[in-house]
Amino acid sequence: MAFVLFGVMTIVFFISHVVPADPVAAMLGGQAPPELIEEVRAKWNLDKPVYQQYLIYIWRLIHGDLGTAISTGQPVAEDLLLYFPATFELATMATVLSVLLGISLGVISAVKRGRLADHFSRVLALSGISMPVFWLGLLMLLLFYYLLGWLPGAGQLPYYMSRPPRVTGLILIDSLISGRFDAFTSALRHMVMPALVLSFYGVAAISRITRSSMLDVLQEEYINTARAKGLREMAVITKHALKNAMLPVSTIAGITYGRLLEGSVITETIFAWPGLGRYATNAFLSVDFPAVVGSTMLIALLYAVTNLIVDISYAYLNPKIRYA
Amino acid sequence: MRDKRFFVGIGLLLLAIGGLAQTPKDVLIIGMSHEPIIDFAPARVYEFEGAFVLEQVYDQLVNFIGGEEAFTKIEPGLAQSWEVSEDGLTWTFHLRQDAKFHSGNPVTADAVVFSFRRSLERHEPPIWILEQFVPEKDTIQKVDDFTVAVTTNQPLGEMLMAAVLGYQGICSILDPAVVEAHATPDDPYAARWLAEHDAGSGPYILKEWRKRDRIVLEAFPDYWRGTPPIRQVIIKDIPDPTAQKLALERGDIDIAWNLLPEMIADLKGKPGIQIVETPSWYFHYAAMNLGYKPFSDVRVRQAVRYAIDYDAITEGLMAGAAVKCHTIVPVGMFGHLDLLYHQDVEKARELMRQAGYENGFEVELLTRTDPPYPDIAAQIKQDLKQINIEVKVTAMMYSQLLKLYRAQQHQMVLVRWGVDYADPSAQAAPFAHCRTAGPEAEIKQIAWRNMYCPSGVTDWVEQAAGERDSRKRELLYKAIQAVVLEEGPYVILHNPLIQIATRDVVKGLEVPPMWYYTELLSVSKE
Repeated sequence: MAFVLFGVMTIVFFISHVVPADPVAAMLGGQAPPELIEEVRAKWNLDKPVYQQYLIYIWRLIHGDLGTAISTGQPVAEDLLLYFPATFELATMATVLSVLLGISLGVISAVKRGRLADHFSRVLALSGISMPVFWLGLLMLLLFYYLLGWLPGAGQLPYYMSRPPRVTGLILIDSLISGRFDAFTSALRHMVMPALVLSFYGVAAISRITRSSMLDVLQEEYINTARAKGLREMAVITKHALKNAMLPVSTIAGITYGRLLEGSVITETIFAWPGLGRYATNAFLSVDFPAVVGSTMLIALLYAVTNLIVDISYAYLNPKIRYA
Repeated sequence: MRDKRFFVGIGLLLLAIGGLAQTPKDVLIIGMSHEPIIDFAPARVYEFEGAFVLEQVYDQLVNFIGGEEAFTKIEPGLAQSWEVSEDGLTWTFHLRQDAKFHSGNPVTADAVVFSFRRSLERHEPPIWILEQFVPEKDTIQKVDDFTVAVTTNQPLGEMLMAAVLGYQGICSILDPAVVEAHATPDDPYAARWLAEHDAGSGPYILKEWRKRDRIVLEAFPDYWRGTPPIRQVIIKDIPDPTAQKLALERGDIDIAWNLLPEMIADLKGKPGIQIVETPSWYFHYAAMNLGYKPFSDVRVRQAVRYAIDYDAITEGLMAGAAVKCHTIVPVGMFGHLDLLYHQDVEKARELMRQAGYENGFEVELLTRTDPPYPDIAAQIKQDLKQINIEVKVTAMMYSQLLKLYRAQQHQMVLVRWGVDYADPSAQAAPFAHCRTAGPEAEIKQIAWRNMYCPSGVTDWVEQAAGERDSRKRELLYKAIQAVVLEEGPYVILHNPLIQIATRDVVKGLEVPPMWYYTELLSVSKE
């Protein structure tokens, strides 16, 4: 894993340095006098050749220093710690929703194949995959916040409510730690819409995969055996069929989770979510090398970890893999 | 038909269930994008949003208040009066004696000297605004406990002095005791602490800052201009304009700061909403590089200016959310010259013929990728085609474009410019001062980048900055604008409007042309 991260770091470092754009120009705008620009370039070591900048970066990295972000003036590690928890919380919530809704829909449409429920879940899946997130997000905001007033609007908490003291950075956990139950329920309500929006794609993919995988499994002879020995249909589906149909589902769920952990700039912007997606995108747009490399490494790490978890879950789902 | 009625009925029902929220009377909630904010450390802040917060929590020696006419007169700030020496170099400020910092300490001459020297020593990007006239720390001297003298390196017009010393980013006055209490050996000026706290004397206290979440300001009861009517201001990060608009319409926020022109048009006339508008002091402009042969002929530059359909751009593309302005000093600024070009394709063709370019030429126009630049560029392309100039539009990231523009490596650009401080010299120096287009130039600003070096105008620019007779000064700036408009390399288009939507319970919000000078002290709610 260390090699993967090192490789990613090196590639991103050089790519971001050959981009013909000037981070200092992005920071200071069009009006700053040239001497000042030179001064700032020197401060960020941007006046040195790229290979020297790379060596400086590696030297610092070995000492656990990801550098300082040009666009925020803060150490990159601190920035990532500040913005990642919000994304982590939302991504986890969205993945849980995707898995629960996706599997239920998939199972139902496999069992009720060709019936109304199957068609319904197909339409849902199709729209989930094809509907752009910004459109879905704005539509939900318009309906549930503006028109119906059932759910709160953008943000993690009501505008007037102060945040619980930061311990983990996860707003739900921090609210519980500080005993702020008002903040907990508000934060949960604020999370519903963005989590639903983010889960839509996952629900679509997981329900489709579950359906086809379930259909395959339901053809197997041991299912007939299970039915023949008089098991209730519910037990046949959940105990015998579903567990065996889960293998491809866990792959998709893992990929979905990895993808969500990068943060989604669009959802985070619409719902004013202080997450990694907005931070990383802002870093890319302002050619903020240290922040770009730091966020990319974090994302690579997250992918590696979620892949590992998926591999482990394979072993649980299919004991044959354990001995392979 | 029946279906339609059904849906309207459902819609109304949903609206009724939805209801309308209302914020408390003594709390003002502003929706604003926090994206550009870095922190609130005086001497470093260069972003509009950051300067806007400093405006509320700090005071400067002099002040500008009000809306559109804000920068036409200088108001006393922490200095209640000032005078200038015979040679025009030394400004003496008499401080008011009833002003207090949030800590309770009095605002004294020591604090003023400390604050200016701190800015000069920290030497962060915006320092050039002060440093160009006050380069040395020792030129800021305490005379007595409530009197300070600032000596400049050249005589300055009063407006120019005020524009520079009124700039929040660099010239805010800090409480030395508070700064020293939070200083550490590696951070002697407490920049880290000041990034999220304040040491000011302004009407509001910076109470809380959660990045990408909210900024909370609390009224300072002992403020020398009186306690602010609003007890608490919450500036909530809502980056998406649509989400801001919905929150305003729902009544969850009182002010929406970043709405798009079409949203403002939609909100106009809606019950419960009002719009505050001011022409801003930034403009969209195209510039022609005289280093590109065809543009070295003044007749070609004039032909380009005559060929452009200004109405189509300002009225059409900008949807009327801009006022035309073709001179380098924007509408509403001291010395603005109200002179406009009008499209005249025949005249443009004639000028091209005289210059020997009736068959035209090709030119590459660099511009940004974000709206409205690609649309304006397309209009320019279409307009210039009529005089046989074949424009190739290349849109790129702004940081990429600036690199080329700064190195004079463009043929033509379409970008924007924002006024740095409230005086025409902030425009004349970059756009009309250039002694040589070579690398040895002293000021490498817009005129230099476009290799436009008018020696006579450059003399006027230097003379105007120090001219103390305000009538003569105004005439000088008008002359500079007239010449630059006639022979310069610019096609200045318009000043976009700043458009801010508020609930109608919000009273007293006045937005000046540089919006970050907006004072929340005058704002109240019914």
